[in-house]
Amino acid sequence: MTAGVQSAVLFPSRKRHAGGRGTRRSRRLHEGRWGAFLLSPALAVVICFVFAPIALTIWISFHNWSMLTPITQMPWVGLSNYRTIFDDPTFRSSLMDTVIYVGLVVALTVPLATLIGMLLYFPRNRLKGFASTALFATYVIPTVAVAIVWGALYEPSYGPLAEMFKAVGLPAPAFLSSPSTALVSLVAFNIWQMLGYYTVLMIAGLTQIPGELYEVASIDGAGVVRQTFSITLPLLRRTMTFVILIALINAVQVFDPVYLLTQGGPINSTDVISYEIQRTAFEYGLAGQASAMSVSLLVVLGAVAAILLGLMRERSR
Amino acid sequence: MNHISKNRQGWRRFIKPLIAVATVASCATTTAVIAAPQVGASSPVTITYLTHWGPTQVNMLKADAAAFHKINPNITVDFQAVPFGNLLSTIDTQGPSGNGWTIAGVYDLWLPALVNGGLAASAPSADASDVKANWPANLVADVTKSGAVRGFPNEVDLYALNYNKALFKAAGIAQPPANWTELVTDAKKLTIPSKGQQGFGVITDWAAGVVHPWLSLVDSDGGSLLTGLTPNLKSRAPMAASNLYAELVKAGSTVATMSTANAETTGPYLDNFTSGKTAMIIMANWWEADLQSAMGSKFSDIGTAPIPIGPNGTKSSSVSYSWLTIVNGKANSAKQAAAWEFLQYLNGPKSGTKGSSAMGDALISMGILPSRLSDVTAHKAQLNSPFLKTYVSELPNATPFPTVLGGEQMTDTLQTAIESIDFGQASPAAAMQSAQSQISSILKSANR
Repeated sequence: MTAGVQSAVLFPSRKRHAGGRGTRRSRRLHEGRWGAFLLSPALAVVICFVFAPIALTIWISFHNWSMLTPITQMPWVGLSNYRTIFDDPTFRSSLMDTVIYVGLVVALTVPLATLIGMLLYFPRNRLKGFASTALFATYVIPTVAVAIVWGALYEPSYGPLAEMFKAVGLPAPAFLSSPSTALVSLVAFNIWQMLGYYTVLMIAGLTQIPGELYEVASIDGAGVVRQTFSITLPLLRRTMTFVILIALINAVQVFDPVYLLTQGGPINSTDVISYEIQRTAFEYGLAGQASAMSVSLLVVLGAVAAILLGLMRERSR
Repeated sequence: MNHISKNRQGWRRFIKPLIAVATVASCATTTAVIAAPQVGASSPVTITYLTHWGPTQVNMLKADAAAFHKINPNITVDFQAVPFGNLLSTIDTQGPSGNGWTIAGVYDLWLPALVNGGLAASAPSADASDVKANWPANLVADVTKSGAVRGFPNEVDLYALNYNKALFKAAGIAQPPANWTELVTDAKKLTIPSKGQQGFGVITDWAAGVVHPWLSLVDSDGGSLLTGLTPNLKSRAPMAASNLYAELVKAGSTVATMSTANAETTGPYLDNFTSGKTAMIIMANWWEADLQSAMGSKFSDIGTAPIPIGPNGTKSSSVSYSWLTIVNGKANSAKQAAAWEFLQYLNGPKSGTKGSSAMGDALISMGILPSRLSDVTAHKAQLNSPFLKTYVSELPNATPFPTVLGGEQMTDTLQTAIESIDFGQASPAAAMQSAQSQISSILKSANR
């Protein structure tokens, strides 16, 4: 008996295993290549339109650039742009405006969307399809068009909202015309426009909760309130986290209503960071500083998203 | 033959055609560049004129371009109109490639940065001589940067006190205020809170609308914004104008929440004036068309008067600013040549009616003062209208807004300071102190 035959007799399964692993590995490799090939168009798009611009923005943030000169001729300034923006009271105030705006939008939108989502999902009512459509319609209308209409609604002297206040004998708020109410007025506009979208997301989350849980809870004598706090809200946590993240990102990106209605004023009270970035880059010709602002915003957003997701995972354990 | 030499041979197979293609391409490019000046004269060329003007004036320009095309069949002028708020960003983003706009109407405050970025070409000597011979010296100086004329001045704007004669009559006031003391007294008489009527209106949310009227009061008190690149905000006149605003706000004669402007530079401040809820406001001549369209027959109620003189001033002096048309220094030479040719025609005395330039006709149609001397003569009758004559008579006393690098950021910073006084959120001293320090730093950084 030769050594090879001996080995085959003594370790038959081992050889089969080795052969099987090799086949599996080559199959995996083959599948991996196909996967990479099939994913490559999407990856190329993401690299070209997401990662490359981010990398370029980070690169520009270390330079002094006005956008009027070739990008190859930007002088290197290191961290100077970051020092300048954090020393600038206007940037610091725009950061604060953004934090207040985002905080108010998230704090008001998410509970409202949850409540309306539940009101639309649970009761059996023929009108709920219509109500959902009507709510979602505000999301479909272009922001520019809606902002112009809201500008007229908010007019403090003769606008419909002011007239409503006057009709009930109350002094009309100045809405967009006062530094104390302008940002809140923009928050109200955002909630009106985005609430339908978040409500639809919440309804989608509610459909994922098994109906049997409610049946069992009812048999055990749990009422609507108990069911809401013990079943609905805990099981809606993942959807809520997603909605909070989307609402947060959407709120940070607010630009159109600020640009059209307030131009960041009065007294920079609505000068949110996206508007300040645009103003710094395109009006002041300071693209390096604007890029430093964008990178700072990206870092803050990334940190907030990581904290939110981390908290969600922690609570899921 | 080893692998390395095989690979080298393989590379050579690719490199040779590449070199050939590159050579042909570079020759073609070089030929195009060298031949470019002749193309402008003999081959068809299309240029793009970027403006923030409205449809009526763009149609006038289109008609002028069509007339020019008949004389110069090889040059076609296209137009691109954007809102004022998008004009600078469009200039910045489309200009550097040289393939976007060829001609742009620009605000003089933007000129230093555009010259720095190579986007405002020097005018050819014939055009530069034309500008020097036919425009007022202060405007020639305004469009001359780095020793070269950069374009044709067109629109010139300045400020005056606009007042509602009907409201003045109802309040028993015969004449518009000539000085700040009268301004405060009249504003108080004209304020009727129960009717939502304010005596003196200001503008907020729009940088020039906030800063220019305030600075006109500073200039009329013998002050100035800058000395060289150093702001004078803590000096007597800016402090006096800020105190005047604070006094008007405190007396209730100015209601800041009635002052908002939107991205189109219209909005509540304009609506309140046209609807008779604001008795007086300091505004530029160009809003005549807005007033006429909003007020109809009641436009005749509007009177204009020189900026009230401050306690230390000797004469009324408004801020003035101008607009000019520049040619993109990054466009190829054929387009540049065609653009200067069109601008020469558009601003020349033969393109318009009765000795005016076509540009002069377009400007006067908007109630805007033309700046070419022969245009002022040609439109003498229109410029003598009850609304415009104050502006025309005050033009020699006007103080040009300083055009410096960092000017936009400086204006926005000053806007914030003035608005904080309007809304009673900062004392005049604190607001001016903060603006002084920030603007010093902005100008230092921009002009390094």
